[in-house]
Amino acid sequence: MKPPSFDYFDPTTLDEAVALLAQHGSDAKVLAGGQSLVPMLNLRLARPAVLVDLNWVAGLDYVRAENGHVAVGALARQRAVERAAEVRQRQPLLGEAIRLIGHPAVRNRGTVVGSLAHADPAAELPAVAVALGAELVVAGPSGRRVVAADDFFVSYLTVDLAPDELLVEARFPALPARTGWAIAEVARRFGDFAVAGVVATLTLDAQGSATDARIGLFGVADRPLRATAAERALLGQPPDDARIAAATEAVRAALVDAPTDVHASGAYRRHVAGVLVGRALSEARQRAQAAG
Amino acid sequence: MVQMAIPRGKWIGVRVKRVEDPRFLTGDARYLADLRLPRMVHAAFVRSPYGHARVRGIDVSAARQAPGVVAVLTHADVAALPPLLDPIPLEGLKKTPQRVLAGDKVRFAGEPVAVVIAEDRYLAEDAAELVQVDYEPLPAVTDAEAAMADGAPLLFEDLGSNVVYDQTYRFGDPDAAFRQADRVFKKRLHTNRFMASPMETRGCMGSYDPGLGELTFWSSTQMPHMLRFSLALFLGIPEQKVRVISPAVGGGFGQKMTLYPEEIAVAFLARHLRRPVKWVEDRRENLLAATHGKEQIIELEAAVSNDGTLLGLRSVCIGDGGGYSFNTASALVEPQAAALLMPGLYRVAHYETRVVAVVTNKAPVGAYRAVGWTAGHTARELLFDEIARELGLDPAAFREKNMLRADELPYTTCTGMVYDSGSYVESLQAALKAVDYDALRARQAELRQQGRYLGIGVSPYVEPTAWGSEIALQVGFPFPSHDNARVSVEPSGKVTVAVSTHSHGQGHETTLAQIAADTLGVDLADVTVLFGDTATAPWGMGTYASRTAVIGGGTVALAAQEVRQKILTIAGRLLEADPADLVLADGTVSVQGAPDRSKTIAEIAIASYFDNSVRAAGEDPTLTATRFYDPKATYSNGCIVVVAEVDAETGQVRLARVVSVEDCGTVLNPMIVDGQIHGAIAQGIGGALYEHLVYDDSGQLLTGTFMDYLLPTTTEVPPIQVEHLETPSPVTVGGIKGMGEGGLLASPAAVAGAVLDALAPFNPQVEALPLSPERVLRAIGKIAD
Ligand SMILES: Cc1cc2nc3c(=O)[nH]c(=O)nc-3n(C[C@H](O)[C@H](O)[C@H](O)COP(=O)(O)OP(=O)(O)OC[C@H]3O[C@@H](n4cnc5c(N)ncnc54)[C@H](O)[C@@H]3O)c2cc1C
Repeated sequence: MKPPSFDYFDPTTLDEAVALLAQHGSDAKVLAGGQSLVPMLNLRLARPAVLVDLNWVAGLDYVRAENGHVAVGALARQRAVERAAEVRQRQPLLGEAIRLIGHPAVRNRGTVVGSLAHADPAAELPAVAVALGAELVVAGPSGRRVVAADDFFVSYLTVDLAPDELLVEARFPALPARTGWAIAEVARRFGDFAVAGVVATLTLDAQGSATDARIGLFGVADRPLRATAAERALLGQPPDDARIAAATEAVRAALVDAPTDVHASGAYRRHVAGVLVGRALSEARQRAQAAG
Repeated sequence: MVQMAIPRGKWIGVRVKRVEDPRFLTGDARYLADLRLPRMVHAAFVRSPYGHARVRGIDVSAARQAPGVVAVLTHADVAALPPLLDPIPLEGLKKTPQRVLAGDKVRFAGEPVAVVIAEDRYLAEDAAELVQVDYEPLPAVTDAEAAMADGAPLLFEDLGSNVVYDQTYRFGDPDAAFRQADRVFKKRLHTNRFMASPMETRGCMGSYDPGLGELTFWSSTQMPHMLRFSLALFLGIPEQKVRVISPAVGGGFGQKMTLYPEEIAVAFLARHLRRPVKWVEDRRENLLAATHGKEQIIELEAAVSNDGTLLGLRSVCIGDGGGYSFNTASALVEPQAAALLMPGLYRVAHYETRVVAVVTNKAPVGAYRAVGWTAGHTARELLFDEIARELGLDPAAFREKNMLRADELPYTTCTGMVYDSGSYVESLQAALKAVDYDALRARQAELRQQGRYLGIGVSPYVEPTAWGSEIALQVGFPFPSHDNARVSVEPSGKVTVAVSTHSHGQGHETTLAQIAADTLGVDLADVTVLFGDTATAPWGMGTYASRTAVIGGGTVALAAQEVRQKILTIAGRLLEADPADLVLADGTVSVQGAPDRSKTIAEIAIASYFDNSVRAAGEDPTLTATRFYDPKATYSNGCIVVVAEVDAETGQVRLARVVSVEDCGTVLNPMIVDGQIHGAIAQGIGGALYEHLVYDDSGQLLTGTFMDYLLPTTTEVPPIQVEHLETPSPVTVGGIKGMGEGGLLASPAAVAGAVLDALAPFNPQVEALPLSPERVLRAIGKIAD
């Protein structure tokens, strides 16, 4: 479990980092918290010729509340984001999701943005990003572009990033008023990647009808999914138990191809995704009603 | 009648802090990986990526030219080394020779095929990738029953079968018992393959001195003298010129009993290259190629009368031995042990068992804490739960009814084990009391009304310990076993204890010192326990099978007793008193009733070594004695109760409580006993719910990292409550019984039993472990294919 040899660069500015990526192209990999990349190097599952270490680049470790969203810089550690007041106040779902990642030691190093860039389909944060409609800021040789989370996640460990681009920021919209949220997952042990998981938000109007419902699924496909049919089943009515049951069935109907691995079969994932959707929506409803 | 009492002073029975811990906790302990020698080079093994394949050729030319490479060896280079064989002298047990580096065939993914030596481990791994092996993949067989079937791919063609052992043993009149039975209950259980996962993986380092013709070999082993004996044989080096040192060892649990091909290869290379060679196993190798454990397919039948009296048992125990019937104890180590302990602590006069050991294309199976017993005990206890449910009896009451009472001990089981003493019923009752069993049952009923599923698992056990020759025979492995200790009071009055047993986490530097300190009446701080170096330790077998407290403790007590007599003799002369009138305590010998007439141990020691006037001519001046011990069989016992809550929608399990009542006879150090129980139960929780070495049909290990091989962590292991009962053995020195394995022997049954008890309203059906969330849901029909 020793990595093959690689060249190591420690740029101190973003421009330098981008220039290094432009120079080395697909031979290079960005190193952030290393909590996914270093194990892959040691197992020789990743064999980059060049590592571009972001950890010496100044000014990337911020968490800011701005323009209706929470902006998280590329070097903000998961633990810092989880504890940030901005997150607790404006986007508690993000903080709660981070708490399900590994253990404090992992979160002390791992970054929020690195988790998004890594795009493990069983990871919590990509599903949070997709459900909330987060925006991702990408830097490359020709400047910056902003990608919607829904477009960013392509498939297993694959995202919309060119070899010479890196992710500099993730913007998570703040929770609107009268919105409840929840995250629920089944992991084999506490802190493991999820076998199946659900994030949900429900926004109610003054009469208690759902004006917005967002459901993100993880662990059940090759990328995080929005459960759009289930969301539609909730809109325009108060989210009573029958509606939630309908959403559960819609999720199960959409997951006929859930993957099988050593931890669970597709059939288990499909069943449990339904259970978790039901639980997450009930909890989100309770929070929404309390907030209203 | 206690065979020999140990004088009780300040130390035995006390929660003494472990004297070895400061160096472990501060990082000052030196493990194998910490050792460095000048000119040292590093080994990386090339391992088979196939479960079963013919090796048509190996091209090492590119690897030999890679940067930093010193040597690349394949089977052709070590063909003169003899193959590894298991040593168990049992009739009908077929031998499955394993080459140090695979010859024309590989039989499990991970089997060493070549070894690369380079200036560092990184370069060695780089070059290992360049070794080109021409494999012809063969059909693999990864299930023991499939391996027994006609036409199954054969691992050893010349044996004509994958079955290496198949014997039926009959005890009493089982047919009559089953004829008389009102009811016959059956259970099939495929116990999961899981493994020891010591925090420190395997590893070794060899250094050869050509001038002296001596090999010094450091290894993370549990059995230094046995390893020395083997290395001498394999390499043809005279045994007195081989020294084995096991430095700090970070856990063994049986995995480090085995002689491994990697050790022979490294020793061979150290001599071949005239340079120190080191190999530190990484975790991926450990999961792939260190011994696995616990996998059996057990079919069990019980003959029962309507009132719940157990009349007899029948079992078939099929051990899945993996690619080789392994060298320490063979593929038999699982099924034979399971079969012979199957009656457990219950009154079973009639029993028939078929013991089958099979080779398959998976890593070899070796001993792992409570080897064999875990699987057999789990099958039996889960069957007993089902019987109690069927008969409408309380599962604890059903057990108590069939359990041996104190007045029935000593008791010879139908399989020939002699239970010397114990507290079976008392342990069960104490454990039930600790959880407030009746109140829990009421709470269970109440929660069920709310759709919550709480369950209670009750797992009383008897644990063979003190692995000497007698118990080895009783549990089915007729291999002599004994040990030695040398106790010396040095001229300054300080005490050196050198033992042939080993310590790799158990705290023997403390417990054995406690025995010596009490026997010699000295302070614990004045005693040092040496082990793990064949140059300083007396000859013996090492540490495994809960044997060290009894055997190591016994040898220390016997040798210290002899030294104590010498001290009293010298003191008698110095004090002009009859030794029988002397009192030895607190480092001082004084005359009974006249405390001012006294000598310190240091004064006595100085006199003994340097004052010829206190000795008769020809009398030994040293205060030292070496004694061996090969104890009679003794059996510990206890009871584990687990309370679990199950989420019947997701299949997740939460353990609410774990209580263990343990009776290991004389308790040397309750804190250390607690620690052994905690660790073993954590491993049992892993085995029941999480840990599973999964292979696909081609023999690929699918759980090859700690991402997928799930060890329980602090979040999965609840606080464990331990209570002690103390029924000293009437047959061992000091009444000591061994312990250490009971937690893993009995906790998987308690955990699985609690889960299934919780789900009783759904009539759960389980034929395999671990109880993953998916298996839980399938057991209650919530998902189907
Ligand atoms: C024991 C353990 C348990 C874990 N459990 C969980 C869990 O339950 N849930 C979970 O979601 N995660 C889990 N993780 C993974 C963890 O969240 C990682 O931290 C995260 O996936 C990657 O973040 P990182 O900063 O460590 O990135 P790195 O490991 O440094 O990089 C990961 C990948 O992303 C790329 N990358 C990183 N940053 C950027 C960037 N700014 N631009 C472009 N590419 C980039 C790298 O090149 C690499 O390919 C666990 C990890 C460990 C070790």
